[in-house]
Amino acid sequence: MQLAFAFDLARCSGCMACVVACLDEKDLPDAAHAFRHVIGFENPGTAPPTLSFFSLSCLHCADAPCVTVCPAGSLQKRDLDGIVTFNRDLCMGCRSCESACPFGAPRFPEKDTMAKCDFCLERIEARQQPACVRVCPTRALRFGPVDELTEETARKASLNILEVFG
Amino acid sequence: MNRDSGAFSNAGPDAAALRNCKASPVGGGIELRKTICAICNPLSHCGIDAYVRDGVVIKVEGSDNPHNGGTLCAKGAASRQYIYHKDRLRTPLLRTGEKGSGEFWPISWEEALDIAAQRLNSIKEESGAESVAFFAGYPKWMRPFLKRLAHSFGSPNYCTESSTCSTAAFLAAKLNYGCFGRPDLGNAKCLLVWSANPFYSNTSMVRRLLDARDRGLKIIEVGPLVTPLTRHADVHLRIRPGTSGALALGMANVIIEEELYDRDFVENWTLGFDDFKKYAGNFSLERTEAITGVPAHLTRQAARLYAKTRPAALQTSASPTVHHTNGVQNHRALTALIGLTGNFDVRGGNYVRPPAYLYVPGPPSTREHEYEQSRPWSEMAPRMGVERFPVWSRVIAEAQAMHLPFQIQTETPYPIRSVVGFGLNHRMWPGCDFMYESLKKLDFFLQVELFMTDTCKAADLILPACTSFERSELKFYPEKFVIWTTPVIEPLGDSRPDATIIFDLARRIAPEDALLTRGYEANVDWILEPTGLTVEKLKQHPGGLSLKDIPQVPFRKYEKSGFPTPSGKMEFASTVLREFGLDPLPAYKEPELGPVGRPELLKDFPLILTTGARLPMFVHSRTFRLPWTNGLRPEPMLDINPEDAANRDIAQGDTVRLSTPRNSIEVKANITQIVSRGVINIYHGYRDPEINTLFEPDYLDPISGFPGFKSLLCKVEKSI
Repeated sequence: MQLAFAFDLARCSGCMACVVACLDEKDLPDAAHAFRHVIGFENPGTAPPTLSFFSLSCLHCADAPCVTVCPAGSLQKRDLDGIVTFNRDLCMGCRSCESACPFGAPRFPEKDTMAKCDFCLERIEARQQPACVRVCPTRALRFGPVDELTEETARKASLNILEVFG
Repeated sequence: MNRDSGAFSNAGPDAAALRNCKASPVGGGIELRKTICAICNPLSHCGIDAYVRDGVVIKVEGSDNPHNGGTLCAKGAASRQYIYHKDRLRTPLLRTGEKGSGEFWPISWEEALDIAAQRLNSIKEESGAESVAFFAGYPKWMRPFLKRLAHSFGSPNYCTESSTCSTAAFLAAKLNYGCFGRPDLGNAKCLLVWSANPFYSNTSMVRRLLDARDRGLKIIEVGPLVTPLTRHADVHLRIRPGTSGALALGMANVIIEEELYDRDFVENWTLGFDDFKKYAGNFSLERTEAITGVPAHLTRQAARLYAKTRPAALQTSASPTVHHTNGVQNHRALTALIGLTGNFDVRGGNYVRPPAYLYVPGPPSTREHEYEQSRPWSEMAPRMGVERFPVWSRVIAEAQAMHLPFQIQTETPYPIRSVVGFGLNHRMWPGCDFMYESLKKLDFFLQVELFMTDTCKAADLILPACTSFERSELKFYPEKFVIWTTPVIEPLGDSRPDATIIFDLARRIAPEDALLTRGYEANVDWILEPTGLTVEKLKQHPGGLSLKDIPQVPFRKYEKSGFPTPSGKMEFASTVLREFGLDPLPAYKEPELGPVGRPELLKDFPLILTTGARLPMFVHSRTFRLPWTNGLRPEPMLDINPEDAANRDIAQGDTVRLSTPRNSIEVKANITQIVSRGVINIYHGYRDPEINTLFEPDYLDPISGFPGFKSLLCKVEKSI
């Protein structure tokens, strides 16, 4: 099984509640160190322009480059659910993961020790949603096994298409 | 996995699972306790599940109640830094240095309350109770108790932060209809959103708004700024700030000319339609475009969509349409569209539900307003500002706080010598430096606050309040849900709930009010009496109580009882305004310091400044000091259109000088198309720079007294 986040671009309003929920859950000192980021864009080509927001954290990639490059074996991919975990004690602060990650997920709240989204492992194990998913006021963020998320997205898209025909 | 599916639930986990819920330090003994967030407005106030260990909140999340459904916004999610901030006041403080010096000495509560009572009672004896003004800021939970205290003390001068927020919109609707209804979102087929951004100001409603959109709700958005709503809108009417009234009249003209209005409602239930029709006839599509900047075809499209899609609801906001020098009349024009199209008090339209408590629509109804008015106006001196704002004083049961600094300064018709402020922030006033100087002139300024704010520095005595996590309060939700919270932690230091402070003061300054002497819970019970609820009963439901057995309020109540206006009808022509010699029609006037109002200023001040639109992580000044929220937007930037920036050689992040005829400040530039050409937008409430120094203290709507915060001529230059 692969757990994943699903993000509905059409519903995100850029409110950044997910960022703050992450800070609160992970006891991080300030916004610069959050494991989740919200980036806003002004869409050209519409008049007036419209706004889009993207909420991004570690995507727990199927083939995670950070795991491959980590020389210390700090980063591991769990067989159980595909979560990319990390072990702070093994991290030697070489920042290879930072260079390898295409999404800017590895963070360094303590100077030379990597930290990142662990899918709120403790919450998952307590059958709770990750903090960012729980808090999301527009329900733009969801999570679950990737197959189920895909299925749900397809169902929603089908309903939208059916509506067009009436 | 669906977030509502059983596997990962919103319900609390079992105790064993909780032990590992926080990453560090791992330990047992965590308890989940229910409270509410009171950082923003009463229509939100989301339920909170506080994770408490050893008497300390270690995490928060949204309660899974019918209101916020487990969610929170960025502000509520930052509650921990709000509760435990180093600036929290922990003990009563008595001024020792000069006013404004910030030098205070800690004293005991007993001493502090005695000093307060002695000062207030002697000022009352010397100059009359009216020379003490009582002020309630944010949040609003202490208001009924403070208003009663003011009147029982004998002062008519109870005023609130609502002198710049929401009340003018209510006043406008009240002149038209005698009451107002909020949008019935669940049943509406079209939503006309007029200068509101619920994504950042009323976060708990947005999941339902988007769900309604998924079901096919049509959305029309009006407003000068591009917001997160704009991409969901079928049409966006991007007006020049301050021209809502003209746009509404232009839309009304289309609806009348094309006979799309509700003939039956207009003939049977309205006053002054013929005059309104004639007046709206002046707002042809071409003229409306010339005034508002909205292309004629879009105005027509929006008017048709709103009038033809039944039922349609109008979503307004607390301030943007009324923060103009013609605010009330503009808001009257746009709310007139509801009646014109027959959408007043109907299913899916603007549905009138009498308030339950603290601005939240019921049912049930409480005795809040009866409770507050412990002494009739006739037995007190005239309220401050009654001559300057007679319409306000007729319709609104408070004094207009914008007049406060003027009366402190002029001492006419009587002096204001003391202010008892609960969360008073002088930066709320236009010309906030004038307000600050006025506060320093007082003989006795008592401030009750959470944090050591700059306003506190002008105080003679400061009393430390506590947050919603540290007190008990009554909270009704529009979803027929009520909760009586109990403290999830002890108050920090020697801080106390505002209500406790009020009742302790009452025993000393209004001892003859028998009800007030009975204390907080007895007073809440008195307010609750018609509902059959009591504090005792509510205490048995610590997670809140569902009231779904209460019958629904009927639609079209006016068919039985008429409208609560002087004529008993919806008034296109206001009887009250006519009585005060004002234009009874919702007449359009240009913003006073605007490009048409003062064309001679255009050469020096070619841009329009609009202030105070919401950002998602701030509400007024309340979360600036938290690293979690402040870090999301550390710089107080002004928004400027790319063309305006290019013309001034301004690049992203450059420091610029923003000037109005009154003052000039330095701030960084954010180049963005959320503002159109010619418009500058900036968030309010920062400590530095002080945006409200750019406004004259008397830049006010003559009807409501609301400041013209959302339209003022300005210029922007690159700083050297």
